[in-house]
Amino acid sequence: MKLVTAIVKPHKLEDVKEALTALGLAGMTVSEVRGFGRQRGHTEVYRGAEYTIEFIPKVCIEVLVDDSDAHDTAQAMVVAARTGKIGDGKVWVTPVDELIRVRTGEIGADAL
Amino acid sequence: MSRGKALIAMTLLTFIVLCVVGKTYNDKNGDTDGSKTGVTSDYVTATGATTNADGSIPLSQEGINQMANETGHLRISVNFVWLLMTGFLVLFMQVGFALLVTGLTRAKNAGHMMMMNLTSFAVALIAYFAVGFAFQFGGVAPVSALGGLGPLSKIFPTGNGGLIGLHGFFLQSGHSYDVGVIAMFLFQVVFMETAGYIIIGAIAERISFAAFLLAEVAMGAIIYPIYGNWVWGGGFLAKLGDSLSWGHGAVDFAGSGVVHATGGWAALALAVVLGPRIGKFNKDKSPNAFPGHNLGYVVVGTLVLVFGWMGFNPGSTFAGADLRIAVVAVNTLLAGCFGTVTAIAWTNAKWGKPDISMACNGMLAGLVAITAPCAFVAPWAACVIGLVAGLLVCYGVYFFDHVLHVDDPCGAISVHGVCGAWGVLAVGIFADGTYGATWNGVPGTVKGILYGDGGQLLAQIAHVVLGFAWAFGLTYIIFTIARRFMKIRVSEEAEIEGLDMPEFGALCYPDFQLVAHGAGHAPSAASSSSNDAPVSVQREGV
Repeated sequence: MKLVTAIVKPHKLEDVKEALTALGLAGMTVSEVRGFGRQRGHTEVYRGAEYTIEFIPKVCIEVLVDDSDAHDTAQAMVVAARTGKIGDGKVWVTPVDELIRVRTGEIGADAL
Repeated sequence: MSRGKALIAMTLLTFIVLCVVGKTYNDKNGDTDGSKTGVTSDYVTATGATTNADGSIPLSQEGINQMANETGHLRISVNFVWLLMTGFLVLFMQVGFALLVTGLTRAKNAGHMMMMNLTSFAVALIAYFAVGFAFQFGGVAPVSALGGLGPLSKIFPTGNGGLIGLHGFFLQSGHSYDVGVIAMFLFQVVFMETAGYIIIGAIAERISFAAFLLAEVAMGAIIYPIYGNWVWGGGFLAKLGDSLSWGHGAVDFAGSGVVHATGGWAALALAVVLGPRIGKFNKDKSPNAFPGHNLGYVVVGTLVLVFGWMGFNPGSTFAGADLRIAVVAVNTLLAGCFGTVTAIAWTNAKWGKPDISMACNGMLAGLVAITAPCAFVAPWAACVIGLVAGLLVCYGVYFFDHVLHVDDPCGAISVHGVCGAWGVLAVGIFADGTYGATWNGVPGTVKGILYGDGGQLLAQIAHVVLGFAWAFGLTYIIFTIARRFMKIRVSEEAEIEGLDMPEFGALCYPDFQLVAHGAGHAPSAASSSSNDAPVSVQREGV
């Protein structure tokens, strides 16, 4: 099993969700996060004083998939989230050692 | 029968019933256009006037006296209703101030901000009731629009040098338990409250609650009322026309100087004594931005204040029978809108985007500036006054931040102090001689220097200079002394954590997760030295 994690622009959440639904994924977890990458933050002026927005709002999407689906899932997220502009985010895949469904106690791929 | 058919049948039935009712009771003998309500018979029943046998009023001295009596009563009644209703509008401005200053500060202090707004109202009102009102208006009589206000007849010293009023303590002394006096109290206490709210904008996010209470008592009992006496209560500034032949003496229609500049300069003194918030200025004195946590509050608060200002300025005629109120109201709106547009254009030109909170400050700047001249100037002049105020507030905020390095979170000093002073001067420039006959007892109407009365401008300058010296000086003295005996500022720990919990034991937003890495809230240069990263709010849960 793999955990596919994507950090994307908030307004791309809907596109990514649709792409994943089209792949037939059963579930996903979404959280609001803040951070910066190579683009760093940007500066604004408030009442005449400059300030830096250091952490830019992003959305973090996490999906658990079978090993064989990991590549396609990650690719679908990348395509759906891409705007071509700086700050589009990242997608990465990590291995998952153990997985248990809370309600039934099913273990491993059965719990997906 | 289907549901659709039943519905149609019910509709038709209702229609038929209504038609039948209309035809059957086609009775128009009631007073359908209002012309039969409020006529001679109402006068007779209301006053118990004697009538001729046919119900007409007798053509006698007695009949005329009765009518004159009733007309006088009616005129004063209209003024009372006007004064009280506009006073209620000014009272509503408290909501505007509370939203404005809370929105312009950080979420971690929101409860403290709201509590200060609530408490200032109660505490300052009690101080004003006890002594403030008497100090200010104890010698204001006669006020013809309100039936004379005879009990308020004692001022010290008498003549042209009045300094302090002496009737009306606790609304009892000098027979001041009197409808006119108490109506006057309602209208004036909400004006005093305005000066009391103004200071909150400049002391926000760091003053201790105890020091704040002291500030409000001082404002309600001494700082505001005594200065108010000099301009509005028959004191020496109002008499500059008699004593020095300076126009009509200090003229301040609704309080650009008496209310707003007093509040603004007291706010300046407090901000200086308190010092800036932690992290506001870097080592090289350049300012950091602490964005307000709710610009929605700021905009709604500003619009509430505009609405309240429709009582603040027009109500200051004390008379609904004074039809100049229409000019006053429209001048007020014009100045406010010109102030906003100017601030939007200026911030856009300077920083590339219009600044929401500065646009709101621009509107308030226009309103504050027009408050003194609103009754004396033509609409075109109101536009000029608002436009200049919009510029003044933008430069003022920049000046206090970048030049004087005084930390004023909500721009109270620029909006109320600077633009208040400008409004007072504007009377001496733009008053066009169409209003203000025998103002302050001086014959003729009020004219500015553009209309031939340079003396009026001198009186206005005296009002500005003395107003600054009194409000800034006295507040500064009170708090430099108070600083020796009490903690006027919260601890560094409390300031960083947010004042809600240390001061009141309750958060304004307990269901929100406070995170210490908010967008733009942490000025990196300042926060690198200590852990004073200000806090922003992020919604909890995923």
